[in-house]
Amino acid sequence: MGKASDSETTMLAISRRNMLRLGLVSGAMFMSAGSLAFGQDGSPKRGGTLTIGADADPIGLDPVTLTAYSSMDFTALIYSGLLRWTPDMEIEPDLAVSYEQPDATTYVFRLREGVKFHNGQDFSADDVKHTFDRIMDPASNSRLRSYYANVAEVTVVDPYTVEFKLSSPDAAFLRFLATNPDGVIVPKGVEGLTEKPVGTGPFVFESYQPGQQFTLSANKGYYEEGQPYLDTVVFKFYRDQATLTSALRSKAVDMTWLKDPRVAAQVAKTSPDLVSAPGQTSRTFPVWINLKEGPLTDVRVRRALSLATNRELCVQVVLGGSGKVGAMLPESHVGGYDGKSELPYYGVDVEGARALLAEAGYPDGIDLGEYIVVAANALDVACAQLLQQQWAAAGIRVQINPMETAPLLAHWNEGTFGTLLSVALSWSADADAILQRIAPSSQFGAALGIKDDELDKMIDMARAEIDPAARAELHDKIQRLIADNVYVLQVYQYPLRWELWWNYVDGYEPLAANIRSYVRTTWRND
Amino acid sequence: MKRLIIVRLAWTFAILLGVSFIAFILMRALPGDFVLAAAGTTSVSAEALDGMRAELGLDRPVLEQYLVWLGNALQGDFGASFVTHAPVLQELAPRFFVTLQLSLVAIVMALLIGGVTGLASARLRGRVDWLVRAINGVSLAVPNFVIATLIVLLAGLYFPQLVVFGYTPFAVDPLKSFGNLLLPGLALGLAVSVTISENTRAAVLEVSNQDFVMVARAKGLKRSTVLFQYLLRNAATPIITVAGLQVATLLGGSILVETIFAIPGMGQYLFDSITRRDYPVIQAIVLVAAGVVVLINMLVDIAYIRADARVRL
Repeated sequence: MGKASDSETTMLAISRRNMLRLGLVSGAMFMSAGSLAFGQDGSPKRGGTLTIGADADPIGLDPVTLTAYSSMDFTALIYSGLLRWTPDMEIEPDLAVSYEQPDATTYVFRLREGVKFHNGQDFSADDVKHTFDRIMDPASNSRLRSYYANVAEVTVVDPYTVEFKLSSPDAAFLRFLATNPDGVIVPKGVEGLTEKPVGTGPFVFESYQPGQQFTLSANKGYYEEGQPYLDTVVFKFYRDQATLTSALRSKAVDMTWLKDPRVAAQVAKTSPDLVSAPGQTSRTFPVWINLKEGPLTDVRVRRALSLATNRELCVQVVLGGSGKVGAMLPESHVGGYDGKSELPYYGVDVEGARALLAEAGYPDGIDLGEYIVVAANALDVACAQLLQQQWAAAGIRVQINPMETAPLLAHWNEGTFGTLLSVALSWSADADAILQRIAPSSQFGAALGIKDDELDKMIDMARAEIDPAARAELHDKIQRLIADNVYVLQVYQYPLRWELWWNYVDGYEPLAANIRSYVRTTWRND
Repeated sequence: MKRLIIVRLAWTFAILLGVSFIAFILMRALPGDFVLAAAGTTSVSAEALDGMRAELGLDRPVLEQYLVWLGNALQGDFGASFVTHAPVLQELAPRFFVTLQLSLVAIVMALLIGGVTGLASARLRGRVDWLVRAINGVSLAVPNFVIATLIVLLAGLYFPQLVVFGYTPFAVDPLKSFGNLLLPGLALGLAVSVTISENTRAAVLEVSNQDFVMVARAKGLKRSTVLFQYLLRNAATPIITVAGLQVATLLGGSILVETIFAIPGMGQYLFDSITRRDYPVIQAIVLVAAGVVVLINMLVDIAYIRADARVRL
């Protein structure tokens, strides 16, 4: 798989040599990203405002306590962490200048000197320790505590050196650190970040009028020489996708992202001056299965369901071709599914499905009852309807129940739905966060009723496997195991957001993670 | 009269109490809570979720939560938004003003459209009458969010440079502020305009058959004088009453119209707060909306009492 794994190999190989500076390597990486920012006609112009159309308000801006995906649009510009992602989803140093790994469970980061938080406070190793102390404090109720469960100790070696001691080797660790806001650093001794965020990122929080506007200004003291180029970044809120689209077309916003790839493709065609970036596939559409009771506890019925599913047709009809057949891990992850290789029970075989059903004692077909989907997501509903037809052809009947998001999430988290439920899985910093959704020993896997010791063991092994090639192989095995037993029926994978901007916006790079890190290299050429 | 108003106020209080209780219980009876809705598909451990619930007091029995809320509310403390942590009333005040402004635009547009079409239909009859009533039927049948979406799509398609969606605060630019509200006002006011149009038509028809109008005409007064001085003045009272009673329609309609047009008013706030399960905010908005409707109804009743001696009996 892709470039991410290659770069990890490079970084780890280098970092294992004692105290070799990664600065050089990262400098080279940065140049490759930077050169894109400078476009064809020379140096970027300074100043100006970039207006971004947003579809949801943030819910809290403290990276330690926030849980909402919508908050991450904003934290991405305000905060920065020890590491960060390049446009190719490779890890590069950010607040760290280099790191070494003396043994499999120890990481020593050398920090940038002279960095200041937006409030003027100096950044040092104490802030790194403070951040992780906050995450680990049960009173913070941080979602990140489980992500960093392997971190045993964070030690300040000197003001610009910090050491992380892990309890076991962990392939996810660096990836979480590189992800904004999972790995960003908050200042020590500053309270109330939820409303008044203070970070080290390229933009400083100015003001926020809920439902209207979120304003950021350039961080004059930002540590990347000359960046950011923009003076101001303004987010304007449009709940409705049609209104958001109109706002982009009327240039009330310079940049936005849309959820529906068909709509995005249409909008992109309306003007040759619109730049459209479908991005890497980062989101999958699964059908979650209740394995605790009912007919789906029988693996034959589940396999019949999988055989009756024409995934490729769903990609063509629902996504208008802007996606790929999906498995548990989207392509942008280590060992993610490429959408083409053969997986057990992925071939369409309606007769085979009927035969399996008959074998399971349902010769006349079966009624699976309610299939719950997110009512607010038109793509999900459209796909569910198509699946309903496909399954019906094999004698499997379902009734679609489009549901409001909050109760649907409750059913999913607690495993209280009847037989089938769909809610798309978004990009996560590490494949492990996705696999935990079905790991038998996790709360989520338990809620679905998955019992499989082998799967559990393999998921644990994969997280501990630092070698990307070996990890990719494990992930492949895990996905085969899931497809073979149809613990969850994955349909397709597609970009979480389809980004669009006018061509007078230069130097921007979309990430598979849909984190807008590259607003820092963005400039206006009008 | 005084006693009547006091009794009315007591009733208002009882109604608001009932409304607040029902809203509180209903919202919590819905599956999914604030913590879950915020997390979405982000994986958050069960213990972190429980910790957040305990912090917000969501782990306590519903009745206890209600009594705590009621106790605070009676002292004027409506709590803080779970999302922004700012006091609810402070969050609500500017949005209430925006909705008020939008309602004003909507009602003016409704009065204009409804008044003109109703009058035309009553005076011209024939084909005009038929056309107006047909259009009214359609406008009444099509929900406001469909009309709003159509306006957004069509305006975005044909006049992308001309139409800017969003809202300009009144303090920044009063003219632009009202300009922004014209299209949403139209979407919101259309259904109300039907009621006004039909009522205007009926009232004008009724009044025009009365003796004093015939006398005025027989005296040889100008057509316009008869129309404005005699006909409309007498037909106006029931029309204004009907318009006043449409406040509830406007408040209800503002929820989706504001969401579609990105107008940061109380309706959009309610929509967001319900999806996010921001309980203190929902509670406050329901109370404010119920208060406004009850208040308007009371004012209409009092106006009746003053105007019509028969009601006093």
